[in-house]
Amino acid sequence: MNGLSMRGMEKSFGAVRVLDGVDFDVRPGEVHALLGMNGAGKSTLMNILAGAVPPDAGTITIDGTIYTFSSPLDAKRAGIGFVVQEIDTALFPGLPIYENVAADEFVHVKQRPIRSLRHEKERAAALLRRVGLSLPPTKLVRDCSLHEKQLIVLAKVLSSNARYIILDEPTAALSEAETRRLFAIITELKQQGVGFIYISHKLKEVQEIADRLTILRDGRVVYHGGARSLPLEDIVLHMTGTKRTAAAKQTRTYRSDIAFAARGMLIDKTGTTIDLYAHRGEIVGIAGLVGAGKTELAESLIAHRNTSGEWEMDGRRYVFSSPYEAIDAGLCLIPEERRKQGLFLPESVKTNLTVRLLSRLSRWQWISRAKEAAEADGLVRSLGVHPPSSTTVVRHLSGGNQQKVVIGKWLNTNARVFLFDEPTKGIDVHAKQEVFSIIRSLADEGKTVLYFSSEFQELLDICDTIYVMVDGRLLARLPAAELTYEQLVYYCSGGEIHEPASRFHNAIEKHGAVHS
Amino acid sequence: MSQPAVSTTPSKNTAPSILEWLYKHGTLLAILAVITYFGITQDRFFTYENFSDILRSISIVTLVAIGITFSLIVDGFDLSVGSTVSLATIASAAALVLYRQEIFITLLVPLLLGIAVGLLNSLLIVKFKLPDLLATLATMYAINGVQLTYTKGFSIYNDMPLPDGGTAPGKFIPSFLFIGQGELFGIPFSVLLMLFVVMAAHLFLTYTKPGRLFYLTGENREAARLSGIPVNRYRTYAYVISGFFAALGGIVLASRIGTGQVSAGASLLMDSVAAAYIGFSVFGAGKPNVIGTLFGSILMGVLLNGLTMANVPYYAQDIIKGVILVGALALSHWQKK
Repeated sequence: MNGLSMRGMEKSFGAVRVLDGVDFDVRPGEVHALLGMNGAGKSTLMNILAGAVPPDAGTITIDGTIYTFSSPLDAKRAGIGFVVQEIDTALFPGLPIYENVAADEFVHVKQRPIRSLRHEKERAAALLRRVGLSLPPTKLVRDCSLHEKQLIVLAKVLSSNARYIILDEPTAALSEAETRRLFAIITELKQQGVGFIYISHKLKEVQEIADRLTILRDGRVVYHGGARSLPLEDIVLHMTGTKRTAAAKQTRTYRSDIAFAARGMLIDKTGTTIDLYAHRGEIVGIAGLVGAGKTELAESLIAHRNTSGEWEMDGRRYVFSSPYEAIDAGLCLIPEERRKQGLFLPESVKTNLTVRLLSRLSRWQWISRAKEAAEADGLVRSLGVHPPSSTTVVRHLSGGNQQKVVIGKWLNTNARVFLFDEPTKGIDVHAKQEVFSIIRSLADEGKTVLYFSSEFQELLDICDTIYVMVDGRLLARLPAAELTYEQLVYYCSGGEIHEPASRFHNAIEKHGAVHS
Repeated sequence: MSQPAVSTTPSKNTAPSILEWLYKHGTLLAILAVITYFGITQDRFFTYENFSDILRSISIVTLVAIGITFSLIVDGFDLSVGSTVSLATIASAAALVLYRQEIFITLLVPLLLGIAVGLLNSLLIVKFKLPDLLATLATMYAINGVQLTYTKGFSIYNDMPLPDGGTAPGKFIPSFLFIGQGELFGIPFSVLLMLFVVMAAHLFLTYTKPGRLFYLTGENREAARLSGIPVNRYRTYAYVISGFFAALGGIVLASRIGTGQVSAGASLLMDSVAAAYIGFSVFGAGKPNVIGTLFGSILMGVLLNGLTMANVPYYAQDIIKGVILVGALALSHWQKK
């Protein structure tokens, strides 16, 4: 039998069942898209196929032979190629292209000790032609663009005679034109009999390139079939599952004056510029998939990254060149990487909380210990930090309590505009609610909040207004109350925003009818 | 994610607490052990002259090591301090002997040179983002070359012959010699100077706002930057302070030996680096700190003095210095884990 098939795949991590009897197959010469929300089990399934994770149960059959992979090398030998999303981890930047292409063989195959460089170069040149790259094989990988690097990895995968190739978010960092080129190459290789497994959150592109779809949800296959017959709206509904009941949300009001605006903010990763604004007391969400450029935007807004553009706060214009200046003007960032960017781990809660308050707590530069302790104790109480002591070393706190400390250091400062970058990452449900209530009370006090997240339900729960961010661009500014979870997923996955929302609602009804 | 709110430290087992106690007080125990050992084996060890000698040599190492402590606090490193000491020694000697300057200029010139070296280092490290070890390795060589070129390799001393046939116009004046050789209330002035600097630096780093910001800059530079601390400014200050204290050490050294010896500071680099790293563990601080540095240099000073008395040649002492530094590094690394 020709083709790759995975039958009854099961995998649990501890008590969490990640894959629950998943069937998946790929035919030679087709593109089979594997879709699902974060945590649906896509990565685990692909890691099993790539030999990186052993399954608990299930069989893998490739072109009629049953395989049990005990290492990535086994999978590679069986004809599986993996083009990972973080493309730089698969390449040696200081080596020329041909050495990179030959690297796997060089390591794994017993060869004559003397390599034929001419042979390697010719072989690399042939492979580069196959993936449509006209680069000299002697060019150094670090001088190549991201798109070129990706194709070099594809060439490398082809050099080991891969017949089934996993593409993990291949277009996440590509421009429109580069995406077109990649699709042309995929189509070309398809005709040569290569089968592709295509993982992406960009559903528009999936519909364009994929022949078949498999949609996973909570470790099970919820849809399997042709790609073109299924409307985008239905794909989203399959991915998100039963319609979620939005938590009873009290309508917040905010003032009508614009407290914060940024114009022409350059996102260096994507080369795009961004304009945005927020009213006083408004909680503005920036919704986007992982890799859409949210962190880059947040760090540009605090001037932590090199950027261009200008800021406006309460009617005054600024151009910041360092966080020092931005913070002085009343901005602050609660960064995504809490431990790496937000905390002084070996220091006490007190020291972490009072970083920004030292001027007020000291006289002639001499810090008043009593004032400092009183200030920190007050913050610990109002934040509900557990244990309720300001002398605990921050390293020993749980993630949620650490996050409260990161937020707490700005509470008694002149900060008026708060940028929260994925503030609920890695904290438990209870702490999440506490963080939300801090954010709400900040906004109620008239502070302006920008909330960057890829957790769409949280965005809908906390935000008044949501910007949709796709590939380094803000596509729309929408009132959160008028958005549904499915719509937000749909927009962030590349769905058209400007068509009437009613069509999506029609789709929901239609979908309901099909299944009743 | 269900993590415990506070990680519980194992308290059932007594072994870790003994280790911890040893870590905290190991330096003090080592100092006492070394003093006891040399006190028993060397007759002349417990004499006023010897202790005063030990303290004088410690005072120079401590001054230089405090500079290194500042660079370590901002998570940097300064290898150029030894050369800066030499440069300052030569500069003050030259000011006195070759240019007949009074005390003010004699002190000002080396200190300004030390500050200039610090600015050069921070230009390379903070502005051009060169790795601190390599940048200060380069300045270490360059500065050593400067002082050798200036003196053509000869020391500067009273009544030295000049190339034009005459003798040098100036000499080491008493007010300058007082710094390294004088006494106040029966205590060597250099020791008082050292104690004053140690106290001032300790109070500054522990109790003031800029002191706090020095530490935070070193502990997590990105978090410090995102907290609005001008981290590059503090890193620059740290290298300038390092250069300043190296120059101060050089002045005391010139005054103590009464000549401007070329490359006199070379051996001070190793001693003061070891002192600063030994200081990490004193009283369990776990980070660079001035009081620890003082104890570190006391340990080094007592040990080297005893070894010299026991007729261990200076080149063999280098082996012991190296072993001590490795031990101190291992200890500070082990504690971090």
